[in-house]
Amino acid sequence: MKQRPLPQHRHVRPLIVGIFAVFAAALPYITGNLYYLHVATIIGVYWVLISTLNLLVGFTGQLSVGHVGLLAIGAYAFCLLGGGQGWNPFLALFAGGTICAFIGLLLGLPSLRLPGFYFAMATLAFGLIVSELALAEQWLTNGSVGMPAPSFPAPFDTPWGFYWLVLGIGAFITWMTWNLARLMWGRAMVALRDSTVAASSVAVPIYFTKLMVFVFSGFTAGIAGGLYATSQSYITPDAFIVNLGIYFFVAIIIGGRGVIIGPFIGAAVLAAIPELVGPLAKYGTFFYGFILLMVVLVLPGGFGELITNLSAKLRREPQVSTNIEPDLEALRLAIRGRI
Amino acid sequence: MLLVIVSGLALGGLYGMTALVYNVMYSTSKVLSFGTGQFAMVGGIVTAWLVLGLHWPIWIGFLGCLASGAAFGWLSEVIAVRRIVATSDEHLWVLSTLALSTMVQEGMAIWWGTDPTPFPRVFPQEFAGSFDQKFWLPLILAVLMAIGLEQFYRHTMVGKLFIAMSEDSFAARARGVATDRMRSLSYVFAGVLGSLAGFAGGQLTFADFALGTALGLSGFIALAVGGIGSSVGALVGGAILGMLTSLTTHYFGAEYQKTIAIGLLILLLVVRPQGLFGTTRVRQV
Repeated sequence: MKQRPLPQHRHVRPLIVGIFAVFAAALPYITGNLYYLHVATIIGVYWVLISTLNLLVGFTGQLSVGHVGLLAIGAYAFCLLGGGQGWNPFLALFAGGTICAFIGLLLGLPSLRLPGFYFAMATLAFGLIVSELALAEQWLTNGSVGMPAPSFPAPFDTPWGFYWLVLGIGAFITWMTWNLARLMWGRAMVALRDSTVAASSVAVPIYFTKLMVFVFSGFTAGIAGGLYATSQSYITPDAFIVNLGIYFFVAIIIGGRGVIIGPFIGAAVLAAIPELVGPLAKYGTFFYGFILLMVVLVLPGGFGELITNLSAKLRREPQVSTNIEPDLEALRLAIRGRI
Repeated sequence: MLLVIVSGLALGGLYGMTALVYNVMYSTSKVLSFGTGQFAMVGGIVTAWLVLGLHWPIWIGFLGCLASGAAFGWLSEVIAVRRIVATSDEHLWVLSTLALSTMVQEGMAIWWGTDPTPFPRVFPQEFAGSFDQKFWLPLILAVLMAIGLEQFYRHTMVGKLFIAMSEDSFAARARGVATDRMRSLSYVFAGVLGSLAGFAGGQLTFADFALGTALGLSGFIALAVGGIGSSVGALVGGAILGMLTSLTTHYFGAEYQKTIAIGLLILLLVVRPQGLFGTTRVRQV
């Protein structure tokens, strides 16, 4: 059984997080460029979704390719409730998340019983179905014409305000995932990822754990959908193609499966590279596939794990080994029957 | 109504062939490749390019199609499967085959374009309604492929080695089977069969870069319905799914195809996880 030690952050972590938080919060003043701010907002929106998808993919080992479907449902629910019905945007956002959690429950009930590839295919099919229905059910979604998204009330209606809102939600959800991952739930997830048999033999509720993680990730996917809609200000079914699901996937793998800060690294790297290197934008999805292949072949732990390992090396922490020395004397006694 | 049934059966043949390709690769490596549908996509586009683009005769198109499938199959084993299977027992192969499949699909989209283009006629036949070659070609080829594969598994040395590896790869290795070479061979073989499926179904699906993902999903549903490892199951699963797709399109409209198909998959996997004809357990614990 492979054991991947949970990342330990004792001394360095608060400092890094502090610096990062100040930098992220001050980003609007640093760039002043609205387009870069938009890219940063998109990164934040993806971060909201990916951080809990990481709990599902990285920690629990369930390869969900179809979260883009939940993102789409969240976005449409937000637009319908917040725009058409005139609900308060925050209430609509929360309602969108709840709807997605419920749909995640419905999807997870049958599909989480299935082993790896079956589950991946079932979620892929779910993503395809949602984009198909978004086109077909014109009475609800306006078909390919799309619908406008409401924006948030006063302090969050400027690009800066909205950026801070997204950032705050992303940080809050990452904090929640961190709490989940390092305590009992996280241990249960890692255990059932590494060996389902061993986990169930020590009374980890396999199915229930998977289901709860899936529902939680569905909820935040719905929240991310609402935020995504506002950041684009207009949504069409074209925005939620299945390739986007692969993109989320790649972001997790790049960031490192089972590393809490990994999703942020992955989302930032993936969103930033096509913006910074112009010609790559044309080859977007091809490029994501290439990165995914390279990371899987060369660096299966992703950059997050690489950074964790490097920083451990820099701090000269001794390598943790889990060798168990047999107590030969006791064994000898036991064999001779003297205990 | 005859047209609905015939087109359903033709689609079923196409799905069944894809399921058979899954089976071939699964037998030696226990890998269900995400790129299975892409063989057909590449084969179809290569044929359309050779015949309609370069104006070469159809038999060269056919050979080119098979050659491209063989090359792609071999490459996918070398790039996405060999190292993963050798180094680790995690489900990393889902990721690596997904990555390769995405790359091939997007590469084709960049090179060939994103619009579906027509596929050449294979036989000089006037368009004949329900009895057109675009309907009977995939159906007949699917049945032939299933029969041929069964004969291959039962009566040839290589086929028996495939079966031996699918039952116990370590035991086969211990008895002196070059399992790595066999796995490579099975991928080349799968590539050829997959591109043959693309050739057979080309007139039905057109040469379309997005065919691969949809076909991979449908073929997998056919496989799961029929049961992994069973050739008859693949054909029956494909036929059920094809008929269902065709009837859904006829009665409810094309936009509900996938919804019905995935409904079938989920329902069957909950009720009978090993598939209709499968014997192996797919559920762990």
